[in-house]
Amino acid sequence: MRIREKWSPSTALKILLCIFWLFAIILPLIRMLSTMATVDVRAVITARKFSKALRQSLTVSFTATVIAVALSGLLSWAVARTNIRHKTILNTLITVPMLIPSISHGMGLVIILGANGWLSRFLGLEGGIYGFWGIVIGSVMYSFPVAYLMLYDVLRYEDGAPYEAAEVMGLTAQNRFFAITLPYLRKPMISVVFATFTMIVTDYGVPLMVGGKYMTLPVMMYQDVIGMLDFGKGSVIGMILLIPALIACILDMANRDKGNAAFVARPYLIKKSAVRDNIARGICIFVIVLVFLPIASFSILGFIAKYPTDMTLSLKNAAQAIHMGAIRYLKNSLIIALVVSFLGTALAIFNAYMTARSRTRLSYVLHLMSITSLAIPGIVLGLAYVMFFKSTPIYGTFAMLFLVNSMHFFASPYLMAYNTFGKINDNLENVGAAMGIGRWTIIRDVILPQAMGTILEMMSYFFINCMMTISAVSFLANVRNKPLALMITQFEGQMQLECAAFVSMLILSVNVVMKYILFVMKKRTTF
Amino acid sequence: MDKLIIKNLTKSFDGTGVLHNVSFTVRDGEFLSILGPSGCGKTTILRILIGLESADSGEIIKDGVNITTLPAAKRKMGIVFQNYALFENMTVLRNVEYALLKSAGTKGEYSRKKAAAKAKEMLELVGLSEHLDKKPRQLSGGQQQRVAIARTLALNPDVILFDEPMSALDVDTRLSLRAELKELQKRFGTTMIYITHDQEEAYALSDRIMVMDAGVIHQLDTPHNLIDRPADDYVRNFVIRNINIKINSLIQFARLEDNK
Ligand SMILES: Nc1ncnc2c1ncn2[C@@H]1O[C@H](COP(=O)(O)OP(=O)(O)O)[C@@H](O)[C@H]1O
Ligand SMILES: [Mg+2]
Repeated sequence: MRIREKWSPSTALKILLCIFWLFAIILPLIRMLSTMATVDVRAVITARKFSKALRQSLTVSFTATVIAVALSGLLSWAVARTNIRHKTILNTLITVPMLIPSISHGMGLVIILGANGWLSRFLGLEGGIYGFWGIVIGSVMYSFPVAYLMLYDVLRYEDGAPYEAAEVMGLTAQNRFFAITLPYLRKPMISVVFATFTMIVTDYGVPLMVGGKYMTLPVMMYQDVIGMLDFGKGSVIGMILLIPALIACILDMANRDKGNAAFVARPYLIKKSAVRDNIARGICIFVIVLVFLPIASFSILGFIAKYPTDMTLSLKNAAQAIHMGAIRYLKNSLIIALVVSFLGTALAIFNAYMTARSRTRLSYVLHLMSITSLAIPGIVLGLAYVMFFKSTPIYGTFAMLFLVNSMHFFASPYLMAYNTFGKINDNLENVGAAMGIGRWTIIRDVILPQAMGTILEMMSYFFINCMMTISAVSFLANVRNKPLALMITQFEGQMQLECAAFVSMLILSVNVVMKYILFVMKKRTTF
Repeated sequence: MDKLIIKNLTKSFDGTGVLHNVSFTVRDGEFLSILGPSGCGKTTILRILIGLESADSGEIIKDGVNITTLPAAKRKMGIVFQNYALFENMTVLRNVEYALLKSAGTKGEYSRKKAAAKAKEMLELVGLSEHLDKKPRQLSGGQQQRVAIARTLALNPDVILFDEPMSALDVDTRLSLRAELKELQKRFGTTMIYITHDQEEAYALSDRIMVMDAGVIHQLDTPHNLIDRPADDYVRNFVIRNINIKINSLIQFARLEDNK
């Protein structure tokens, strides 16, 4: 039950935050959507080029989603429901693709299976896999770890009690699967499918790299805005890309509110079976090889003089990239990532405290505003920001990129904090008040220390995503504040694959270091 | 001597009346229990008494002083919740020590050393000397509630409020904690107001019991009078229902024994 707000300082703070959200998300979006009035929407939508891109976007995303979800389902079974060892290491390896931009996955794929890819040359394939299958494989590459993490959690926390009951009743394994597992997975599965689909259908990194002539909506939007400065048409496409994200967000909320916090009577008991464990081990190895093939490929390519004509090891690409400003852009990226990881986290904590620890109606409004970014693809947010902030002083500054990245990646860390604060004893502030210990003292000395693990997790989430994002910043960055990841698109445009590979590797290295720091710090903070 | 005089408390949430003209007095050093069905306004009374919530109208007089609008910190009352509300990131000892060092009432009164000594003394009283360096989550529910009681007692409040402090505990723990609580109250002479669902607990602990329903008080009397001279049908039924449950379970138990 949500209670009515009473006037208090915290009410004022909540209203302040709501106003912030108005300017940070809602008004920019309205600004973008309002250009619709000035464009001939029908002309855009009925153009043949457009309907073809729409059709292709849907087909390619649908195919990739099916494969990614199937693969992650299989993999999460292999890790969660067997007795194979080293699960932590496996999970770390499986999620490494989440540390590099989608465009780098596309690039890795080009190096392997492109026109000059080492595997295509080895197999004698002509022309490479540009187009439909290129996009599908590339999209699967970067999206399946996300789907995997969701499904793994679902499987790991499934209640074991129904299985035991079923066994007592003598149901076969197959019947158990259809009677218990499948119904249990239905709701989370819908969330996973839509989240994956949204991620793929709104991405332009992979299709830009391996799409060839196969045009998709995000690429079309990117080219219309970047190349032709056609904001009107960009807005129309942006609005269409909002639809799947919006559906995913609504489904997710519907599923989250209801049964998902299911009560676990007893953990799922994993039986002994060597055969099954061996199959699982095989699946894991297969997937990990698949994941690391493109990553290893671009890591090596970064140090090869000129592929495929001059295969000597050299630092030429590094030198070239540095000459083109890689160090400066890396510095930009680090500044952005660090500032956002502090500011974004602080804002998310503040917001989550207000919404999770006083459940008033206004809190709920604030909560909804805090998670709207979940429903806005980066490329759409970027365009909305260009149009809304263009004539303000922060446009073109670092502050602009701090803001857009904080907003783009806000929802997940916010929800982490929201869940953590919600679980912390709800009477702490009351006990404090009764003892005459102020709210801020209790927050500082009791609540934040208990949330430390979550806070570190949030900071690293912001950091890593800022390091690798291209979607929201591509329209907003300029030569002075350009982040490193955007060099990949730049090099791609100049056909300098080796330099792009070097940059990707740089990003990966920074993020791996960040993950390691997180790991060490989290170990220390378990209270 | 009256410790607390509560006059005509009225409270509604979103237009729904929760407390209707609630008046009663609490004597100094008394153990007073509040009984009543869920949702009848027990917690709301406690929250208003301690200042976490304000009444729409009515007055609270403590030791002859009107404290109706005084902030919670200045009321010299303590509160113990069902879910303990311990500082999970601190050790058992630190929980009490921190309260002594930071609480408005005792701040400045204690050096770190004195606070630690006092904290140890209080924790010893509740039998936790061996667990000083543990974190709350390493303790059983009963032990955690003992920490919360020690932490509250350490601040030496005039009145301690309990909101179903034992509802989450198993029967054995409840019985032993019940005895300890009574012991502590005798020792410190603190006035205690105690919400419970458990009639037996209320009879065992209380000097007087207040029976409530739907935001009104039906009777405030000694346990003996409550059973002997219920004020109205509601109280009579309330008491009898409890006795009936007891009798029914006794009958069932006897049947089971017979069938053996
Ligand atoms: N902050 C609040 N906002 C709205 N309604 C409330 C609030 N607190 C309590 N209530 C309502 O007031 C009534 C009495 O609640 P409470 O005092 O907690 O009952 P009890 O402790 O006797 O179970 C209930 O109907 C409850 O739903
Ligand atoms: Mg209550």
